Amino acid sequence: MSEKYKFDTMSLHAGHVPDKETGSRAVPIYQTTSYVFNDTDEAAALYNMEVGGHLYTRISNPTVATLEQRLSALEGGVSSIACSSGMAAMHLVISAICSQGDHIVASNKMYGANINLLQHTMPRFGIETEFVNPNNLEQIKKAIKPNTKLVFGEVIGNPGLDIMDISSVAKICEENNIPLVIDATFNTPYLMKPFEFGANIVIHSLTKWLGGHGIAIGGVIINGGNFDWSNKKKFPTIAGPHFALDGISFWEEFGPSAITAKIRAEGMYNFGPSLSPMNAFYVLQGIETLSLRMKRHMENTAHMLKFLSNHEAVSWVKHPDLKSHPDHSIAKKILPKGSGSIIVFGVKGGRDAGKAFIESVQLSSHLANVGDAKTLLIHPGSTTHSHLSSEAMKSAGLTDDMIRLSVGLEDIDDIKKDFEIGFKSILKNN
Amino acid sequence: MYLNYNSNDTFVSTGGKNIELNKPTICFVHGAGQNHFSFTQQIRYFANRGYNVLSPDFPGHGFSKGIPNSSIEEDAKWLLGVLEKIGIKKFVLGGHSQGCLTALELSQLKPEVLKGIIFIAGASKIPVNDFLIGKASEDPYKAYDLMVTWGHGNQGSFSISEWPGHHHLSEGNSVMRINEMSALVNDLNSCNNYEGGLSAAENINLDCLVVLARFDIMTPLKAGKKLVNAIKNCESHVLNCGHFLPAEKPKELNRIILEYLKNLDE
Repeated sequence: MSEKYKFDTMSLHAGHVPDKETGSRAVPIYQTTSYVFNDTDEAAALYNMEVGGHLYTRISNPTVATLEQRLSALEGGVSSIACSSGMAAMHLVISAICSQGDHIVASNKMYGANINLLQHTMPRFGIETEFVNPNNLEQIKKAIKPNTKLVFGEVIGNPGLDIMDISSVAKICEENNIPLVIDATFNTPYLMKPFEFGANIVIHSLTKWLGGHGIAIGGVIINGGNFDWSNKKKFPTIAGPHFALDGISFWEEFGPSAITAKIRAEGMYNFGPSLSPMNAFYVLQGIETLSLRMKRHMENTAHMLKFLSNHEAVSWVKHPDLKSHPDHSIAKKILPKGSGSIIVFGVKGGRDAGKAFIESVQLSSHLANVGDAKTLLIHPGSTTHSHLSSEAMKSAGLTDDMIRLSVGLEDIDDIKKDFEIGFKSILKNN
Repeated sequence: MYLNYNSNDTFVSTGGKNIELNKPTICFVHGAGQNHFSFTQQIRYFANRGYNVLSPDFPGHGFSKGIPNSSIEEDAKWLLGVLEKIGIKKFVLGGHSQGCLTALELSQLKPEVLKGIIFIAGASKIPVNDFLIGKASEDPYKAYDLMVTWGHGNQGSFSISEWPGHHHLSEGNSVMRINEMSALVNDLNSCNNYEGGLSAAENINLDCLVVLARFDIMTPLKAGKKLVNAIKNCESHVLNCGHFLPAEKPKELNRIILEYLKNLDE
């Protein structure tokens, strides 16, 4: 990876220099839908992707572009597209690469919405997915078919915290000329950069640690520029003539940035899941302190792992940094700074105890998000998965007593005190 | 377009357009370890403004097969052969970095085919330090990192890009990785060994354009100005960017080139 300045410096500066006209040090919020063309020639050049620039905020926007360029720099990617959510990012990637009749191989240990999109929605459009254990390399190899167009997984699975051995999966993908698309939301580029392990496309939910303050929904696609899209039979809409721009070949015209050029020209233009400039600004503010926050997230996570592992009200604790985690050795290899700040644990007393715990804590917030600066909790058994039987929960990799904790940045003593309040309510009931 | 030249598949980017022999032609020639993606924001621009654009990937570069050439003289002959095969009789030649040396050599080899020459971030002599040549030989990926880091100005290094979402350093690196591994060291040696640049520049009888980069540490501004002084009829500009000027300042460069081409046609 080429870099002149280091990660912390790029977190603050990449993609922006003080505004020439006003001297504004902060990134301006370009709250505009459109941009005045100097002349018809300039307009034509922009519409025809002859040069870069902005013509309509659905396609690109200067504030959003600053965010994109910052994320490209931090991940070591060649180009990025920011969009309205992490799910929009995933859909944009799939729709850019796959067409009717194509096939995807995906991890079976992912965020429910990711699985839902692949299992239920994409088949309606003729795109089928085979789900595999992300660390069963033989199963992945066997699942790949001639019409497989991408392999998809998460570095740190949500909510089970399984770790994908990116390098090994990337090798299989390379041998089969299939791009490896990785959701790296839970690690952020501070903890691990998937391109260094052979991934080809990285997506993030910006809503989580990158934004970091629970105030803006967003997503991003980052292109590693390390995939050969030249196979016209396999990737006809990227290497072959495309209906957009007079039969353009994105591969021949844009090479390493072909996939993001296509997503900009087709996905953003036709589907329109643009990120608002205001939300881009909020995420940029978050990124400025990403490394400081991640250090603190990981420190607090280490404290909480110790605290929970030794607590009498806790029946089990799962986190890849613990030796007991089945993927601990992979985590040590690819996530040396730590495996993220989500911990899942079980409370003694099952579903009722979990409910009592969640309803007793006073500092931690009971909600459906992760990666906020504040400590967050959810008890799937009494909320997101309350409609499921214990057996159905188990088959989804969840248990009645499971609580998902997103460790925040508060004083660690206060988080522990808050948990003690929750645990007391369980012990009292037991 | 792909054509077979010297028994090798050879790629020449045309901006997706068919070549029409009655139209004026501009040929963009890439620098050391580069390929046609150096000119991503020039090729489509000029191809949509009434020009045939030809930007060949030299052997072992970009999408072209074959063993990379090992001298500037070989580069110039190869380029001439490719353009003859396509049927182009006269053209404006635009070179970036090493491409400027190729242009200088071609101006001596067959001056009658040239209508004008555009030198971008170039010089008449491009010496290369032993350290970089050594790295290009033993560890090309490290050499790509060094070139990309040295080759961009401060704004480029900070991911300031006219193309939304792009990061110059990573993109520059990926562009170089498309080439055969031996391409860079051959190119750097070709640059280092070429001695005919200054006398070639002094012999040019065409109206030329030189566009230099103020923060260029690959072909320093001082060396570029020497080229400007050597050419009899020369218009020159200095842009605030690094060596990878076509990617760092595409719009300014395109405007200057367009003006130059219009003046040539008048």
